Amino acid sequence: MIQLSHVSKRYLSGPSDYVALRDVSFTVAKGEMVFVTGHSGAGKSTLLRLLARIERPTRGHLLVHNKNLVRLPNWRVPYYRRELGVVFQDNKLLTDRSVFDNVALPLVASGVAQRDIPKRVRAALDMVGLLDKEKLHPIVLSGGEQQRVGIARALVNRPPLLLADEPTGNLDMQLSDSIFDLFHDFNRHGVTVLIVTHDLRQVERLGKRVLTLKAGEVVRDTGLVG
Amino acid sequence: MNYLLRHVQVLLATLGQMTRAPLATLLTLIVIGITLALPSGLFVMLDNLERVSTGWDQGAQASLYLKRDVTEAAASKLARQIRAMPAVAGVDYISREAALAEFRKLSGFGTALNALDGNPLPAVLVVRLAVADDPAAVAPLMKTLAGLPGVDLAQLDIEWLQRLAALLKLAERAVAMLAVLLSLAVLLIIGNTIRLAVVNRQTEIEIIQLVGGTPGFVRRPFLYSGLLQGLLGGLLAWLLVEASLLLLSGPARELAGLYGSNFALTGLGADQGLFLALAGALLGWIGSRLAVGWQLRQIALR
Repeated sequence: MIQLSHVSKRYLSGPSDYVALRDVSFTVAKGEMVFVTGHSGAGKSTLLRLLARIERPTRGHLLVHNKNLVRLPNWRVPYYRRELGVVFQDNKLLTDRSVFDNVALPLVASGVAQRDIPKRVRAALDMVGLLDKEKLHPIVLSGGEQQRVGIARALVNRPPLLLADEPTGNLDMQLSDSIFDLFHDFNRHGVTVLIVTHDLRQVERLGKRVLTLKAGEVVRDTGLVG
Repeated sequence: MNYLLRHVQVLLATLGQMTRAPLATLLTLIVIGITLALPSGLFVMLDNLERVSTGWDQGAQASLYLKRDVTEAAASKLARQIRAMPAVAGVDYISREAALAEFRKLSGFGTALNALDGNPLPAVLVVRLAVADDPAAVAPLMKTLAGLPGVDLAQLDIEWLQRLAALLKLAERAVAMLAVLLSLAVLLIIGNTIRLAVVNRQTEIEIIQLVGGTPGFVRRPFLYSGLLQGLLGGLLAWLLVEASLLLLSGPARELAGLYGSNFALTGLGADQGLFLALAGALLGWIGSRLAVGWQLRQIALR
């Protein structure tokens, strides 16, 4: 599903450039669930930005879904992203729209027929247990519920790959557990999941493969676990 | 069909957004309306002026004032003689009595004329020139006409009309230049409004891009917004021009009445009004297209 070979990302900032990723290689198989951990500045966010094709690697090859992201032309990027679900730490919901409209956004943006939208939005909201909140605005929801709306939005296109960036960074333990259980559940239904987190408690609790980054390099890879 | 439906949805959503900030929308529309109304109004005024002057201009003509002792029979013989000239399109005879009657009607000096004993006016041969466009041919013709027996005075009345026409042409050019400048202003007004809208909705745009919205999808609501602003601004400009003409039509009719004319101001009319609205829409579309493109590049660079 994901294949990185000798990927480097270098940012030019003034006279000194900054290397965010240094010669990173790893593979994630279809249906795997992987945690990426590391201190801040280790290159976790950069890795996600490369996978979401917000940026291109400076060097190396990056294949997702058999698509070479280095060569993917700009006009193909929207179509690539439709096969991708992304969950953000700050959930990035639109506060001036209802929960329903937020979740429907990827469908509307990718031109799904109008009559199919309500059904699919409700299916996604049902998965995260918020079916009864579709008419509310995100502001009135709790932090955990807002994050679930974000997850429903990431899943509404039924993407084969789900990326999450510190999805529980702002949540307490109990809520974190439920969110991670949700991801685990999706994974059991065949979705490949890659979660950037430094919540080591969750990593240990779920016992999945862990990639640890340090200063832009992979320093530990537990490999495929159960 | 689905594609069309989506466009209609965006259009309605954009209209909805405009009504949610009625004051800002109204102010923008008024600014656009006034900006477009200015050159349109000037154009309409010029158009009316031109119509007035073409009323006078129909084929340049020369008036031959006949000596008072020329009899009606001699005058018609003279008219036949002139009509035979190749440079002449036609000749009308206005007898002394007819001239007096016309003068009485047009001048408003009717009662004063009654005080005079006898008719002070000469008979006139109105000669319509076939060569009016060609000054080189007009001069010798006038000389010939003036030299005819019985002709007291030959007067060519087109010089000042030509000057007026030249003046109008100059004014028309000036209005056209003004129109170009003010169109540019409308482009910038709408462009700036849209640019601000893009900045305000930056988060939304970033999210749409992340969930797979194409650049076209991102641009669409802004393009519709610009198009609608331009269209409504153009319609408002039309309304402003027509309203101003309505205010002017009374005094204009009075003035025309004083000159014995039933001239009335004409407005833009449906075709020109619609043209104005469509021109506004086009300007709005171009303005927003430029602004969105520029602002999205700014977002992408960060």
